[in-house]
Order: sequence, then C-alpha cells, then structure tokens
Amino acid sequence: MTAPGRLHPITIAIRETADIFGRMGFSIATGPELEDDWHNFTALNVPADHPARDMQDTFWTKETPPRVPRTHTSSVQIRYMEEQMKKGIEPPYRIIVPGKVFRNEATDATHEAQFYQLEGLVVGTDVTLAHLKGTIERFYREYFGERSRARFRPSFFGFTEPSVEIDAWFEPKGKEGKWLEMSGGGMVHPHVLENASVDSKKYQGFAFGGGIERLLMVKYGVPDVRLFHTGDIRFNYAFDKTAL
Amino acid sequence: MKVSLKWLQTYFDAPLPSAHELADALTFHAFEIEEETDTMLDVKVLPNRSADCLSHRGIAKEISAILNLPLNHDPLREPVPEYAATVSPSILLHVQNERTCTRYSAALVQGVKVGPSPAWLKEALETVGQRSINNVVDATNYVMLDIGQPLHAFDAKKLGEKDGRRALGVRAAREGEEFTSLTGERYTLTPAVSLIVDGAHDVPLALAGIKGGKAAELTTETTDLIIESANFDGTTTRRSAQLLRLWTEASMRFQNRPSPELVGYGMRDVLALIQEVAGGEVVGLADTYPTKQPTIEPVVTSREHVNGRLGTEYTDQDIESVFTRLDLSFVRLSVSETQEGGLWAVTPPFERTDLTIPEDLVEEVGRIMGYDTLPPTELPPIVGKPDQNRYRGIERIKDQLVEQGFIEVSTQSFAKKGDITLANPLDVAFPALRASLEENLVAALAKAKYVAPLVLEPKQKPKLFEIGTVFPKEGEHVELRMTEQALDRGEFATDDVLRDEKLIAFGTDYAPKQYELGAFTPYSAYPFITRDVSCWVLGKTGAEKELEHVIRDNAGKLLIRLSQTDVYPAHAIEDSKISYTYRLVFQSYDRTLTDGEVNAIMEQIYTALRNEEYDIR
Repeated sequence: MTAPGRLHPITIAIRETADIFGRMGFSIATGPELEDDWHNFTALNVPADHPARDMQDTFWTKETPPRVPRTHTSSVQIRYMEEQMKKGIEPPYRIIVPGKVFRNEATDATHEAQFYQLEGLVVGTDVTLAHLKGTIERFYREYFGERSRARFRPSFFGFTEPSVEIDAWFEPKGKEGKWLEMSGGGMVHPHVLENASVDSKKYQGFAFGGGIERLLMVKYGVPDVRLFHTGDIRFNYAFDKTAL
Repeated sequence: MKVSLKWLQTYFDAPLPSAHELADALTFHAFEIEEETDTMLDVKVLPNRSADCLSHRGIAKEISAILNLPLNHDPLREPVPEYAATVSPSILLHVQNERTCTRYSAALVQGVKVGPSPAWLKEALETVGQRSINNVVDATNYVMLDIGQPLHAFDAKKLGEKDGRRALGVRAAREGEEFTSLTGERYTLTPAVSLIVDGAHDVPLALAGIKGGKAAELTTETTDLIIESANFDGTTTRRSAQLLRLWTEASMRFQNRPSPELVGYGMRDVLALIQEVAGGEVVGLADTYPTKQPTIEPVVTSREHVNGRLGTEYTDQDIESVFTRLDLSFVRLSVSETQEGGLWAVTPPFERTDLTIPEDLVEEVGRIMGYDTLPPTELPPIVGKPDQNRYRGIERIKDQLVEQGFIEVSTQSFAKKGDITLANPLDVAFPALRASLEENLVAALAKAKYVAPLVLEPKQKPKLFEIGTVFPKEGEHVELRMTEQALDRGEFATDDVLRDEKLIAFGTDYAPKQYELGAFTPYSAYPFITRDVSCWVLGKTGAEKELEHVIRDNAGKLLIRLSQTDVYPAHAIEDSKISYTYRLVFQSYDRTLTDGEVNAIMEQIYTALRNEEYDIR
C-alpha cells in the first residue's frame, strides 16, 4: 500500500471555496493567463493612457501587439460574458474564477509577482450591492467561522461603479478579532457589460476579486506569501491535514 | 496627498474632530488613509477623484459632506476675474496645439522681493512634507496644495522680448532637443513632450505640466515674475512623464485631467498670495483658452435607480441631502402627471469631472449614507445546477495522483528560457514564460529528495506532479507533468495536455475530496543532519515506545523528526530479541548545525540507552 501524497494548500483552499460558492449556485469559469489588452484592461473600462492603469504594475510580452500576463482574473468576466452572449445565453450569470495572476512589483512578505485570485461575477436583472455584501459575508462565515462579517469601504476600480474595498472580520482561536482587507468589488460598470455585449439597461450585477494566498495566510497564520509557489514540498507538509 | 489638519481647519468655523475621527470619516466615506499623525493625514486619492481631491479644499469639501459641517468659505465658489481670452500689452502668448495645452495664462508681476517665507507658510508646507524654498515658489506650491492647480514662476527678466512684450510659447519638443531641469537633471526630448519656451529666443523654459527648467530659474536677485497657470492634456502629460521617468506633483495632477476652469482660480489665488508674502504689482495678464470646457451636462437619476443598485430603501430626503452636502445642484423632475418626486437632474460643479453617469451618483449616495447601512442580502437560489465540471476534472486527476503517493507542487510561471519573453521581467534571470513544467519539476524533485527526511516517512519516495498553464509558441494550455508515471495506468497516468473536453467529461458529477488544514508550522531555512540508531529490544508490548521515549528525552530540542526505519525480524515472536532502527533528523531554526554538535547529542543518547541496558547495534 503506497503512502498517499499531498495536495498543495492552495488546491485545498480553492476546493473549500468552490464548494461554498457552489452551494450558492456559482459555476466555475476559466480564461487564459496570457491576455490581450482588450480583455485585461480596455474592455474593463481601464483605457490606454488612463492613470487607473498605474494601479496594477503590469508585465508585457515582447510581441506585436504586446500581451499581458493577466493582472487580475477580472479578464474572465469579459471572456465569460462574451462567450455566453455568443451562444445566445443571456444573464442570469453566477460564476467564480479561481486563477493565477501576475504583478510586476517588488516582492516582500505580502507581495508576490504571481499569486492566485478568486473572482466572482453575478449578473441579473435585480442584483444589488447589498447582494454582494450578503454573498461575501456568507463566504467569510463559512470560510473563517460563524462570527465573521464583511465590511465595505469606498474605493475606485475602472470596472465597477460604485466600487468598494471589502474587509473581513476574523477571530483567530483564542485571540482578539480584527478587520482585515481581503478583496475589492462593486457593481459592474455599465461600460463593462456593454463591452461584453450585455444590455446594461436591462441587466446589472456585482463583481469581486481577492487573493487566495491571503485567505490562507489569515486563516492558518502563514507569515510570507513567497512560500507558496517555490515547488518546495515542505510547504505542503507545514499544515496538519485531516480528510473530511 | 498629505493634508495638514491646521490647514483643513481654516475651512471650518466649527472645531474639527480629532485626527483619528477624521481618518475614520474619510476611510468609511471617501478615501483610504495611508498614514495618520496628530497634525497630518496622508490620504490615498484614487484616479477618479484626483482631478479635485489632490487639494486641501477637496478634502475639506469631502469632510464637510461626510460630517455635514458647513465650509466657512469655498475658493471654488468665490468670484474669479474673467481672465478668459485676456490680451496684454506686456505679454505675448503662442500655443502651438490647443489639444495638448487646453488653456495657458501668464501674469507679469514686477517689483517683488524674493526671500524667506513667513513662518505660517513654511509650517504649512513642512507639515505636508514639502521643503520651503522661497516666498514665491512656496506661494505657488501652497496654492497648488490648497486648490489643486499646478503653478509655476519664471524670472521675467531672463526672458527675451518680442515687440516689446515678454513672449511665451507652448510647443512640442524637437527630436533630440536638450533640457535641464531646475534641479539640474538633463533630458533628451522627443516630440511627444511639450515645452514652455521663451517666445523670443525659442529657448526651453519648462517641461509643460511636469517641471520647470534652469533657464528662467528664480534667484534672490529676481524682481519680476512671469506666473504660469495652465491646463495641459492628461494623456500627453502622462506619456511624457513616463517617457522621462519624471513624475511630479504637477504631472500627477494633470494626468488626471483637472478642469481648465481651475486655471483662473489658481491664478487669482497665487497672485494674491505672492503680493502678500513677496510684494510686487501685477502689471499684465494674458490668457489663451480657445475652447472653453463644455458646460457639465446634468445627470438624471431616480430613487428607484439608486435603491435598485444599492439594495437599500433610501428616501427622497436622504438622497437630496447627499446631493446638497456634496454641492451637487439638482432639479426635481416630474415622473408623471400624478406622481411627484423620486427623479432628479443633477448638475455637478465644474471641478467634479468624475460624475458623468447615473451610477456615479449611486456611488455618491452609497458612500455618503455609509455602506454600513447596506443590508447584507443573500442571492436567491438558482434554477438548475452550477457547472463546475471542468474544474472538477482537474481536481479528480489530483485526487487520483495523491492516492498513488504523488505530492502536488506549485512553481513559478517565469522561466530561464521559453517561446514568449517579457519586455519588462522582474528578474532578468527569468525573462520568459515557461513553455513546459518540466524544468521546474526537475528542480522541485531534486529539492524534494533533499528535504524528504524532514517531511516524508523514510520509505516514502518523493514523487511530484504539477498541473499548470504553460506558454509554448502554439498557444497556452494546461499541462499535467509528473516526475514518474503513475502505477495505476488509467486515464491521466502520465504527462499530458489537459484539454477542456476531456476534463469536462472526467469531472462531471465528481466531488473533489475536502480536507481541513491545521495551523501553519514554519520550517527552518538551515540545513539538517540525519543519524540512524539501532537497538536490540526484548520483544514485549510497549517496548519500542519506551525506547522512543529514551531517545526523545535525551535528544533535546534540535531533534525535529524521529521515524522508525526498520524492524528485524519483521515478524518476531513474544520474548525474542527484536532490532529496531530509527532515523533522527536534527535541525536548528536559527543556525547551521555542525557534525560535532550532533555527535555530542548522539553520545548522550547512546549513554542513556546503555544506562537503560539497551543493546546498541
């Protein structure tokens, strides 16, 4: 009998996340990691030469035209809606997108040039910002514990209006609770819906996105984001693991 | 944007609450606060509000709306002289391209005395992290930080004259044209960059919208000034700043497209302040503003729209109160002959260039009312079943491999070599996107073999796999790569390209295994040392447990793992002698262990074992 191997902790976290959102009716969508300018920026209402592009440090390929290792999983919002509309499938849409993203920024204990994000997109006729709060709060309660809550602060992203920063209330066992910055989100900007051929007069929705490593770092006390993607098996074995 | 609390207070008669309360008010209704001291808040103004809020006036206006405290004055609502299209007998302006320079105004001030700034002005600037230079430069910086309009002062006597007038021009730089900035850096320019030039001699005076130059620098001898208040195109400024790698207070503001109307307010305030702190007399002013900023169109929104997006039940009164507090003028529109209220045409003030669609107003209502008032609402159940099949296909492969002893790794997507390379890699040693997982997996296996004694049972052979995206020239795909073939030679038992159709078929109706993780235990970055020890023990129940205890009790804290590696004979009978072999792994969290150190520990263990009358092999 062979001793079993071990999954990477990111896989375990994504499974838990996919299960929680699955119970809320979310499908899972995917898209390319190497994106064109349209899907990563322009269609998301972040036009060329706009200062909003400075909000994410971007890698570009040496190609003509250059492509971008996606800076966020938000590009899949556009990909997914385009595909559905091409197939003639109008909203309601309800998806999450777990996937790898890339940022060209100096790395430290809380910044990595590549990490995983969890994107969420819900589009329908009467989806509201209060639904975003209810959805994300349920996720935090199931992931972090029954006492977790969500809090919004105003923010700006080209692809949402209104835009919010989302904090989670987290109480580690035997310690005092605190608010932690977890995600960005907001109501999908009407230009984004229109850019994916969805009628923004008829449909509206919310979107959110946050780091998956961050979820693990908070929940299990991982001190450094650079430990995740080194290919070192000691990371898999640094957590006790129980099969459910 | 660093804001001084004392400076903010000048906008209010009522005393402002503490720095911490102000920080909270801004955090939950407007902007993130990056730093907070007793005298200063560093406010993170994002691109949508950089046109009006990179200023004390802008932040004061936000505080006024959030706390419902009236401003005691508002420079942007006080009358401004009608400068537009003023010509002057003393100044000649020539703007080559009105697209890159939407408005240019210049004033000639004579008889100033350049010197140190008064204490209040120095203090105001120093509180927000600026260095005091002299009274004139400080005045231009103060007005910029106060209302957001970048300004510049030239020494008028260093400019030539054309037809008896000081002449200024705005034109594109020539290919290869040289420029030396105020602080002495030299730049070689391209036509993408706009310049302010001396109209008489065509000498560059400043990088338009970015930084002043050496040529007309102020000195203590300066008596006559040309004051510039202008509006430069956001895209041109942004591209120039990127090209020159020169980001300044001015370029940050212009790239966010402040209203050209602000030019007049800036000129009004800076002339008043210069005369106050440096004396002098305004003898001429010219303003070229060929295309006035179009009147801001009213944005129509309704109570239904606002509540329909936010999921709230705000009343007309709530919504109108937000508009009033933010100084957004509105008219009530009638919905129908019988129904009144709930519909507005809202006209933002000139500086709020960010408010253009109804959703922008939804955000204003949401944030000023406070997002804590949103009721968390769950989504209704969906019709049918969510589709996670492709994802589950991948997870099923992973479960299958883990069952057969494979460990999943996650490695970097950047590689030494590949078909697609990056124009701006973070690490020049890894300039490409990986075309295969192989290289990373080979490295991971070598590492795994080395660290195996730390995490794996002695007989467990490290076998690894990764499922990840690779970027060969024919296009990206998801690859499965393993360090050896799986024993169970079913589907996905060897390296493979994972196509969607196959994954969907494999994942349909599969429920991935769920695990609960415990807290993370850090591992040491230092090398480890292993030792084996074997003992003969009289085979009786619990004998090996006692043996383990003796080893542990005498090994100290540096023993981080103890595993049984062998039992001989494998099937012993009661009361016969059995040999147990253990592997001990020693490691420190703060240094590299030496063999000598570990040998000493082993001696201790041997001594203890002998004292307990164990027969060491």
